[in-house]
Amino acid sequence: MVERLKPLMATTELTKDPRRDPVTGEYRVIAPGQTFKSVTDKISKIVLTPHTPLGWYAYFVIAGSVVMMLTVALTWLFLKGVGIWAVDVPVAWGFAIINFVWWIGIGHAGTLISAILLLFKQQWRNSISRFAEAMTIFAVMCAALFPLIHVGRPWLGYWLLPLPFTMTVWPQFRSPLEWDTFAVSTYAIISIVFWYVGMVPDFGTLRDRAQSKVGQYFYGLLSRGWRGSVRHWVRYESASLLLSGLATPLVLSVHTVISFDFAVAIVPGWHTTIFPPYFVAGAIYSGFAMVLTLAIPLRKYYHLEALVTDRHIDNMGKVMLATGFIVCYGYGMEAFMAWYSANHWEAFTFWNRAFGPMRWSYWCLITCNLAIPLTTLWSRRLRNNMTFMFILSLIVNTGMWLERFVIIVTSLYRDYLPSSWGTYRATKWDYMTLAGTLGFFLFMFLLFVRFLPMIPMSEVKLLVPQAKITPKKPVEAGD
Amino acid sequence: MSGHGKYEGTKNLGTESGLNLKAIAGKPMTLAQVREELKGVQGKRLWRSIDELANTPEFQAAVEREFPSVAQEWVDPVSRRGFLKLMGASMALAGLAGCTKQPDEPIYPYIKAPEDLILGKPNYFATAHPFVTGAVPLLMKSDAYRPIKADGNPEHAYVKGGSDPFSQASVLDLYDPDRSQHVMFRGENREWAEFAEAFRDTVAGTGDGTGICFLSATITSPTLARQWKEVQAAYPKATLVQYDPAMAGTPYSRASNIQYALAGADVILSLDAEFISSATFPGFHKLVRDYADRRKDPNHLNRLYAVESTPTTTGMKAEHRLMLRASEIPAFAAELAKEIGVSGVDAPACAWTDEQKKYLAALVKDLKAHAGRCAVIPGEQQDPSLAALALAINSALGNIGKTVLPGGETVHPIPSDQIAGIKSLVDDLNLGKVNWLIILNANPVYTAPVDLGFPDAIDKARVIVHLGSHVDETGQIAHWHIPAAHFLESWSDARAYDGTVSIVQPLIDPLYGGKSAHNVFQVLLNEPELGAYEAVRATWRPVIKGDFEEGWRKVLHDGWLAGSAFATANAAPRAEIPKIPVPSSHDALEIVFRPDPNIYDGRWSNVGWLQELPKPVTNLSWDNAALMSGATLVKLGLEEDDIVELGANGGVVKAPVLVAPGHPDNSVTVYLGYGRQFAGRVGSGQGFNAYLIRSSASPFYTTGSIRKVDGKWGIAVTKSHYQDHRASPFTTEANKNESLEAVEALGARGIIRKATVRQFQANPNFANEGETHEQTHMGTSIFPNWSYNEANAWGMAIDMNSCTGCNACIVSCYAENNIPVVGKQQVRIGRDMQWLRIDSYFEGDLAAPRAFYQPMMCQQCENAPCEQVCPVGATVHTPEGLNMMVYNRCVGTRYCSNNCPYKVRRFNFLLFSDYETESLKLMRNPDVTVRSRGVMEKCNYCVQRIQEAKINADKENRGIRDGEIITACQQACPAKAIVFGNINDPNSRVVKLRDNQLSYQLMADLNTRPRTKYTAIVMNPNEDLEEMPVEHAPANG
Repeated sequence: MVERLKPLMATTELTKDPRRDPVTGEYRVIAPGQTFKSVTDKISKIVLTPHTPLGWYAYFVIAGSVVMMLTVALTWLFLKGVGIWAVDVPVAWGFAIINFVWWIGIGHAGTLISAILLLFKQQWRNSISRFAEAMTIFAVMCAALFPLIHVGRPWLGYWLLPLPFTMTVWPQFRSPLEWDTFAVSTYAIISIVFWYVGMVPDFGTLRDRAQSKVGQYFYGLLSRGWRGSVRHWVRYESASLLLSGLATPLVLSVHTVISFDFAVAIVPGWHTTIFPPYFVAGAIYSGFAMVLTLAIPLRKYYHLEALVTDRHIDNMGKVMLATGFIVCYGYGMEAFMAWYSANHWEAFTFWNRAFGPMRWSYWCLITCNLAIPLTTLWSRRLRNNMTFMFILSLIVNTGMWLERFVIIVTSLYRDYLPSSWGTYRATKWDYMTLAGTLGFFLFMFLLFVRFLPMIPMSEVKLLVPQAKITPKKPVEAGD
Repeated sequence: MSGHGKYEGTKNLGTESGLNLKAIAGKPMTLAQVREELKGVQGKRLWRSIDELANTPEFQAAVEREFPSVAQEWVDPVSRRGFLKLMGASMALAGLAGCTKQPDEPIYPYIKAPEDLILGKPNYFATAHPFVTGAVPLLMKSDAYRPIKADGNPEHAYVKGGSDPFSQASVLDLYDPDRSQHVMFRGENREWAEFAEAFRDTVAGTGDGTGICFLSATITSPTLARQWKEVQAAYPKATLVQYDPAMAGTPYSRASNIQYALAGADVILSLDAEFISSATFPGFHKLVRDYADRRKDPNHLNRLYAVESTPTTTGMKAEHRLMLRASEIPAFAAELAKEIGVSGVDAPACAWTDEQKKYLAALVKDLKAHAGRCAVIPGEQQDPSLAALALAINSALGNIGKTVLPGGETVHPIPSDQIAGIKSLVDDLNLGKVNWLIILNANPVYTAPVDLGFPDAIDKARVIVHLGSHVDETGQIAHWHIPAAHFLESWSDARAYDGTVSIVQPLIDPLYGGKSAHNVFQVLLNEPELGAYEAVRATWRPVIKGDFEEGWRKVLHDGWLAGSAFATANAAPRAEIPKIPVPSSHDALEIVFRPDPNIYDGRWSNVGWLQELPKPVTNLSWDNAALMSGATLVKLGLEEDDIVELGANGGVVKAPVLVAPGHPDNSVTVYLGYGRQFAGRVGSGQGFNAYLIRSSASPFYTTGSIRKVDGKWGIAVTKSHYQDHRASPFTTEANKNESLEAVEALGARGIIRKATVRQFQANPNFANEGETHEQTHMGTSIFPNWSYNEANAWGMAIDMNSCTGCNACIVSCYAENNIPVVGKQQVRIGRDMQWLRIDSYFEGDLAAPRAFYQPMMCQQCENAPCEQVCPVGATVHTPEGLNMMVYNRCVGTRYCSNNCPYKVRRFNFLLFSDYETESLKLMRNPDVTVRSRGVMEKCNYCVQRIQEAKINADKENRGIRDGEIITACQQACPAKAIVFGNINDPNSRVVKLRDNQLSYQLMADLNTRPRTKYTAIVMNPNEDLEEMPVEHAPANG
C-alpha cells in the first residue's frame, strides 16, 4: 500500500490533506496525536476503572428487566407450547424464524470486519473489529435460541445433531434445517475462538495494569500466560490469519445455507435461486447497520472519537450502500422473475406481496431498505452526520427484519391451494420474545463493554505513528 | 342419605389414618401445619393422608385463604384435579417425596376371559341410530366392549352402509363427560327405584291418569309406541304430546311419507329441499346415493334444479339454482304447478323477475320433456302447501309409482300435529290441569316456540320429571331428573325411512345407570321391572316368523328385520292443496329458521366434533350466525362479524353477521340449536338462541327486524371466500364480484377441473390438457425413484361429481383417528386439526354462485415435499407408497407443513388432546396414537386399517382383496365418492377410476406425484338456461 501511494506523495497538496498522515501519506484511520500510551490508557481505563458509569447501570437495569421478560416468555412457552405464538397453518413459521434469520444476518458484519477485512489488510477495521465480533457472538446467541425454542418439542431439539444413538437413527441430511444445524454451530464456534484469540494480547495488558486482585486473576487466567514475546506474536499472527481464513468462507456460507431453508422448499416466493447472494448481501447490510447502531453511541459515551473516527462511520456507510444495492437488485429480480418466468404461482405470490392484504409489510420494507438508505447514503455530508447515521441504521435494521417477515409470512399465507389461505397476526408472546432477545443482546453487550476491551489495543497500536517502523527514512520522491 | 355422608366419611377416614385433625379443627391450616401433619408418614400411607387432609374443611379453608382465586375450582371436579396436582407439587416441596403406584382399590385381571374377547381384536355389532326422520342402521365397532366407531350397516338394503355426521358422532355423544350421572330429586341424588315407586303410586292414585301428561321427543320406536298404547289403555286420561322443534309443523310429522327413486330420475327439482346434503332430510342416505350414482357416468347424468331460500350444498351442486326468499317458494311452486297443468291451483300474485320467469319456463319445459323420469322434491322446513303442490306436480307428470313412491305409514308410529300438541299442553298447564309432567328426551324449556311462554307455563305443573341425557335447561327446573341412557346403552327398536325395522342393540352397559323411555312407561304397566330388552322382544315376537329365538338372533346379527319395509303406493293419495301463502313484502326482512346442519336442534350441542365441523357453504364453526347476502350486508351498513339484534315474534336476540354466498336478498337465515345455557362444557354459551324469536304460528320463516349493535362477535370461519382484487392482476371487470380463491382455483391453478357434458363430449380429455395440467416425467427428480412394482401400492380416487359436501367423512375421520377438538379460539386462528376437510370454491358472482366441493386430505405424494425437509426423518415413505408420520420422532419444526402444497398437515400447537377426561379415554381408537403437543400429524390413508388387513391376509396366506381395506372417510361416505385400493392391481376399482380420462392429479406439475386422484366435474346444464360459457380465459400473467 505504501508502495502504491508513493507517486501520489509528489504533490504537496495531497500531503496537506488533513485526512492523510503527513508522514506516510496514508489516509488516517485514527485521529492524529495518538501514542501507544494514550491508546492503552484510553481503552484499558474503561475496563479497569473501579467507577462504573451511572449510565451503564441504567442501561443494565433496563436490559436486565427485558431479559427477565424473556425468561417469562420462554417459561410460558415451554409450559404451554408454541401455540402461544401466532403460528398457524398455513403460516407455520413466524416470528421465531424471522428473528433467527435476522439475528444471524446481523452477526455477519462482525465476521466480515474481523476476517475478510483482515485478509484485505483494511486497517480501518482494527478499531471496530472487537466489538463487531462481540456483536456477532451475541447475535449468534440470540439467533441460535430461536431454532431451539421454535420447535414443538424443544426438549428433543438435540435430535438434529448426528449423535450415535443405539437405535442408529440419524438426522435426515437432505433437510436444509439439518444444514443449518451445522452452519450455525460451526459459525458460533469459529466466531468465539477467533474473538477470544484476538483478545489474548489485550488480556495480557489488562492483567499487567489491573490494580485489584480479582482483576489480576480474572485477566491473568484469560491471558493464558501471554508475555508478548516475539514467539507469542508470531504464533498469534499466524493463528489470526488461519482463523480469518476459516471465518472468511463462513461469511458467505452461513447465510447461504440459511437461505436454503427457503430456496430448497417449493413454496412460491421461497423457491428462488437468487436467494443465497441476496441473503448474504442482506446479512452484511443489516450487520453493518447494527455495527453503526452500536458504534455511534459507544464512541460518544466513552469518548472514543479519536479511535473510532468519522472515517469509520463513513466507510461503513459505503459498505451499506454497496450491499444495499445488491439487496435492491434481489428485490428487482424477484419482481422480474415473477413476470419473466411466466409461472403463475410466482406471479401471484409477488402480486400478493405487493398488493395483497399484507402489502403494508412489503412497502414498509421497500421504504426502509431502499427508498431511505439508498438515496441518502450517497451524500458524504449525511454519512458524516452521526445522528442521521444512527437513525438510518435503525431504519435499515427494521427494514431487514421486515424483509424476513415478507419472505416468510407473505409467501406462506397464500400459497398453492386457495382453500388453505390464512393470515398471521403476532401475539404479545411473539413481541415479548423478539424484544427479549434485543434485551439479552444489550445485556450481553453491556457486560462486554464493562469487562472486556471493546477496542483491540494491540491492533489499534499498530496504527499509531510509533508503530510505523518499516519506512523509517523519510520517503523520497521519485525513488 | 347423600347429604352429609361425605363429611362423615372424611372424619372417619381421618381417625382411621391417625391424623390428628382435631388439633387444627376449625381454623384454616398453614403450610407449616400441613407439613407437621404429614411428618413421618411415608409411601402409600402418605398419599392417602394427603387425600384425607385435602378433603378436610380446614384444609379447604386454607386453600381458600391462600388462593382465593382458585377456591372456586375446588368445586369443579375437573379443575380440582388439576389443582390437586399443583398442590401435590407444593406438598412435595413441603418435604414429601412423590411416587407412582397402582390404585388403592383391588384390581383383578381376567381369570377366565370372556369367550368372544380377544384383546386387540374388535367386535362388530349391528344396531341403529334412532333419528326423527328414520333410523340409520349401524355397524358398531367395539373394542374390549367399548363402542368406538359407528358406521353404516353395509348390508342394509335401504341405507347400504352410508352414514352421516350425526351417526358418526354418536360415540362422542355416548362418552360425553357432561352427561348426567344420577337420578336426582330437587338436586339430591336418589335411586331409580325411589322415582319408580313415587311415579307408579301417583299415577295409580289418579285411577284414570288424569293430570298425567307426557311430553316426548317424537316417538320412533314401535315398542315405545306399543308401551304407550298400553299405558293409555290403563290410564285413558293420561296424555302424550310429542314435540321436536325441527320436526314440528313439517308434513313429515303428519304422516306424509314419500320415497323417491332417483335412479330413474333424469331431472330432479328441489324446492327448498336439502335432500343430498343434510342428513336430517327424510331418506337422505338413499337419496344421496341414488343421486350420486347418476353422477358417476358422464354419459348418463341427471340434472338437478334447486329453488331454495337458504344456500345449501344441495343448491350449490345443482346445475341450475334459483334463489328465492322462503315465502316465495310456495308461490313459485304454485306457478310451476299451473304451468305443468295441475288443476285447481290458486297461485298468489307475485311479481316474478324476468330471470325467474325464464327459469320457470325452462324448468317446465324440461320437466314436461322428462315426464315420468323426473322428480320434484319439496323441502321439509316449508309451508304445508309446498308438499301438496309437489305431490300434485309429480302426479301430473306421471312420476308417481316411478320416481315418486308415496306410502301410507311413516317411521312415526304415533303421528301427531306437534305444534297443536304443545299448544294444548301449554293451555292445560296454564289451566292447572297438569299434575305430573313427564318430559322424555326433550328440552322444551329451551326449544318451545317463544309465543307459548312455555318456561312460565311449566312452573304450573305440580311435579316435573325430566328424562334426559344432560341436566339441560329443562333438567334444571325439573323436580325429578333421570339420566337417559344413550341409544348405545339401551335396547330399543326403530325403523329406517323405508320402514325396515332395526333393533337398537346396546353395546355397553349404561355408563351412568341411565334409563330409557321404555323404562318410564313400563313402570306404569303390569310388570314394572320388565327391562327394555324384554319389551322389545315382546313387540317383535308376533312379527318374526318361524322360530323366534333363531329369528331374533338373525335380526340382531343382520341389523334389520327382512320384509318389514312399508308398502308404497302407485297412486298419489287424494289431497286438497292448502291455501298457498302470499309471499311477504319485498321490503320486509324475512327470517328463516333452519335446524343447524351440525348440531340439529341443539341436541348435539355438547359434541365437540360436530361443533367444530365447518358448516356447509359458510364454513362457520362453533357458532350460528345471521346469514345473509352480501348485498343485504352492504345495504344494512354491516360488516361480517358485526353484531345485530334480530327481532321477531316479540323476541330479540343478538347475533353475529355472516355472508352466505347465494343467499337471497333481504332475508336472514338463522340456525337453531345454539345459545344453550346448560349444554355442557363444550356447547354452553356458543352462538345465540334462535328459538327466542321463533313462534308456533310461523316455525319456518317469519318477518322481523334487524338493527346493528356495537361490538364484534368473534366468529370462527375455517375458510373465507376472499374478495381482494388488488391482490390479483388477473381480475377483470367480469369477475370482480367473484371469490378470488375460486378465480385462482378454477382458473390458472387448475385445482378444480370441470366441463359441461357438451364440452366433455367435444374434448373427453379436458381434465388433463391445458396450461397447468401437465404431468411431470418420472425422471424429473434428483433423488432416485422408488419402484413400487413389487408390493401393494395404495392409492385413492375421489369423485367430485358424487361428493355433496355432507361432512360425514370428516366426523368419521375424527372418530377413527383420535383427532382432538381444539375449540373456537384455535379454529379462529387456523389451527383446526381435521385431517380431512372439504374445500369449497364458489364459481361466479358470489351473489349467486355455484360451488364445487373437493375433499382434501394428504395426497400421499410419491415425491413428497414434506419428507425431504424434515431434519429428523419423522415423515418418511413406506415401500407401499404411504407418506407416514412417525409421531415419536417428530420434534415439531413444522417445515413439512410449510412445504406441503396441499396444506393438509396439522400441528399440535398446544396440548390439544384430552388426556384427563376419563370417559373420553374409553372412546379412543386403540390402534391410533393419541398425539401430544408439538407433534405434526396428518392423514395416512387409515394405515391402521391397512395393517390389520395385511395381518389377516398374511395369516390366510393370500393377497389383500380389492375392497378389503376401506378408509374411514370412504366408509362413511353416503355418496360413495371415495375409493381406496391397490393401484398395482389392474382390476381394482381404484385403478379403474384413476384410469378414467376425467381423473387428474392436483398440482401434478409440481412433480409431487400424488397418490390421490380426483375425477373432474362434468355438469349437465339445460341449454335453455346455460349462461355464459364457463370457460376461463387462460391466465398467462
